[in-house]
Amino acid sequence: MSERRPYVRPMPRDWWARWPFRHYTVRELSGVTIAIYAAVLLSGLVALLQGPAAWDAWRGWLASPASLVLHGALLIAMLWHVRTWFQILPKTMPKLILGGTPVPQRTITLIGTSVAVICSSALVAFVLWRPF
Amino acid sequence: MTERADKTIELRVLRYNPVTDEKPHHQSFTVPYTSDMSVLQGLQWIKDTIDGSLTYRWSCRMAICGSCGMMINAEPKLACHTLLRDLAPGPVTVEPLNHFPIERDLVVTVDDFVKKIESVTPWLIPKHPKPVSEGPYNQTPAQMAAYENFSACINCMLCYAACPQYGENPKFIGPAAMAILQRYDGDSRDGGSALRIDAVHGEDGVWGCTAVGACSDVCPKAVDPMHAVNQNKMNTALDYFLRFLKKRDTK
Ligand code: SF4
Ligand code: FES
Repeated sequence: MSERRPYVRPMPRDWWARWPFRHYTVRELSGVTIAIYAAVLLSGLVALLQGPAAWDAWRGWLASPASLVLHGALLIAMLWHVRTWFQILPKTMPKLILGGTPVPQRTITLIGTSVAVICSSALVAFVLWRPF
Repeated sequence: MTERADKTIELRVLRYNPVTDEKPHHQSFTVPYTSDMSVLQGLQWIKDTIDGSLTYRWSCRMAICGSCGMMINAEPKLACHTLLRDLAPGPVTVEPLNHFPIERDLVVTVDDFVKKIESVTPWLIPKHPKPVSEGPYNQTPAQMAAYENFSACINCMLCYAACPQYGENPKFIGPAAMAILQRYDGDSRDGGSALRIDAVHGEDGVWGCTAVGACSDVCPKAVDPMHAVNQNKMNTALDYFLRFLKKRDTK
């Protein structure tokens, strides 16, 4: 019998920045978008409470190039988050069995994504056309 | 007609001898191969013709025993299930499975993995025990579908080598143990989930998982351990809240 001296390799501290984990890291970071956008809305609410002048200033900021760039970036990150969120949805819910066979995970992702796209489009259409 | 091995490919193998080496180092071998040769066969060629001391595990050479897991070009793979022709022109790096201590060359320590599998009570505990004379425990196709993929695990440990959370915290129960737990918990004939819930709870249980998902990507048997882990997040949360009710019942 020869000597045992198991060698433990160190875990790279930046594993999350490396392939193949980059995809996961981007997915998780894209979730921060919601917090940032909530802060934007909250600041609007605060401005509204402070009176007409603050409200107009906030609306002015919304129309500024910096805000437009921010909103563009937030929109892209949000779309990515929606896509990847529904990709892992079937893995986070109990197994769906219909008629004796499991529902394919791709089908669950497709249905979830479609519902999200339809609801979001309906909301955008509603706001643009303002039926009332 | 047998094909002649007139093509060659370079294998860069991580070597470690606990007696003589301070730390592991790569060694290159030029291996002649035919189109039907696996990485495992490449290693066997090296062992037979160049260096008999090259150490690795294998048994079935048909992707069913789960012994030959290793990092091939930094991805956890079964060496018998990975063809050299798909890696041409090379070079191909061959290293022991990530996140496990190296015993020698491509052989890693499996003790921790085995303990984890044992900790989930991996056998059926009949809900309503009955004598053989009363016949089999029947199951509908839908009841079987609820756990079938989880029963396909071959204990190859590729999912642990893929899991960065296991790499960060070796106490984390990890993917395959949860897949095996779900194989029994999800079985309509089983009544043993109360015995298994402790493996699921706590910091080192399912909550150590951050849904990276690499385990399911690398699994050679489509077990989908990520699904098992995340299904059990729901179960542990329910158990946590129901525990208070249950305690009151027993008084
Ligand atoms: S779940 Fe898949 S990758 Fe993990 S040990 Fe089982 S067969 Fe191997
Ligand atoms: S030798 Fe059995 S799985 Fe590869």
